Amino acid sequence: MEIKTYDDVGATALDVIREVGSIGTGNAATAVSELLSANVRINLPDVRIEGFNEAIALLGNPEEPVAAILVQMSGDMNGIMLFLLKIDFINAVLHTMLGKTVSDYSELDELEVSALTEVGNIVISSYVNALSGLAGMEIDLSVPAISINMLGGILSVPMIELGYETDKIMIISGKFILNKHQLDSSLLMLPDIPSLNKLITKLVAGHE
Amino acid sequence: MNKEVTVGIADMKLLRQEGTLITYALGSCIGISFYDPMIKLTALLHIMLPISPEKEISQVFKFADTGIQETLRRMSVFGGIKSRYICKIAGGARMFEVLGNSSLANIGERNIESVKNILLKEQIQLTQQDVGSNYARTMRVSAQTGTVTIHTYGRPDVVL
Repeated sequence: MEIKTYDDVGATALDVIREVGSIGTGNAATAVSELLSANVRINLPDVRIEGFNEAIALLGNPEEPVAAILVQMSGDMNGIMLFLLKIDFINAVLHTMLGKTVSDYSELDELEVSALTEVGNIVISSYVNALSGLAGMEIDLSVPAISINMLGGILSVPMIELGYETDKIMIISGKFILNKHQLDSSLLMLPDIPSLNKLITKLVAGHE
Repeated sequence: MNKEVTVGIADMKLLRQEGTLITYALGSCIGISFYDPMIKLTALLHIMLPISPEKEISQVFKFADTGIQETLRRMSVFGGIKSRYICKIAGGARMFEVLGNSSLANIGERNIESVKNILLKEQIQLTQQDVGSNYARTMRVSAQTGTVTIHTYGRPDVVL
């Protein structure tokens, strides 16, 4: 079935997207494990279709600062990947890679910001690689960009990018667990509607 | 009484005489406040995109053109007179330094430009602004005075 809005995505399709997402996030967790030499898992991803304001409320307070790494997808899949990290995850990364921690985002220097960007890039590309392998899709990724700012302003970026075709966005998100502690971070995949159709055709058609 | 009314994304609210309108964390979106000092009527609009597409739209306040038109129409219903309006805008940031000339990189700038053009066409004077750069802004408007306060992360507040 061709979907026109995110609301048309059926329960079976959502299940398959969740399943594929979990393979992607598993891959991303392995990459982070290697990077941090620690036991990192990601819980079973949550797939949600939400209005703009609800999506922000789901992820936190619009004014709270976060670090976000953004990568654009193109090729067989168009859309945005966002990796949101809050201070506990940032410190876990900084402690392992650079042997220090910060108490506030404003203390991050250039070297630390580029280390975080690289971690985000690894997480995102390992997720997308798993997905493209499963779906047999060629997905190109842009150079990663980072922003450390209010959550609401950061989330407005993918919302605006998809804003001409939808009033809602689909968020596939997973939370990282490091040495049994859940860290405040989320990996978000925001595909556009034609890409979602392709993905569903490739993955779900056989299941229905 | 000091009630705070939240304006969501692609949303608009009106207040009269008292209270505060607030919209959180404007990134590349734009917050547009209109204040009629004679009757103390205030509107705050939060748009996402510069211009509406040529098809049926479900959310008028998502786009600068349809959003401003509808805001002005509703204000006039409440007795607002366009020539008296004091208008201020905030937002239109570039949240991510992405390479190239993609729509993602330039949308904030395009939003600013479109809002200014529409205001010019409507003959509404834009009195103050806090736009562009690379950070999100929370915008508060007092319905009593039309004063706008901009709150950001890691910077002092700005009063417009």
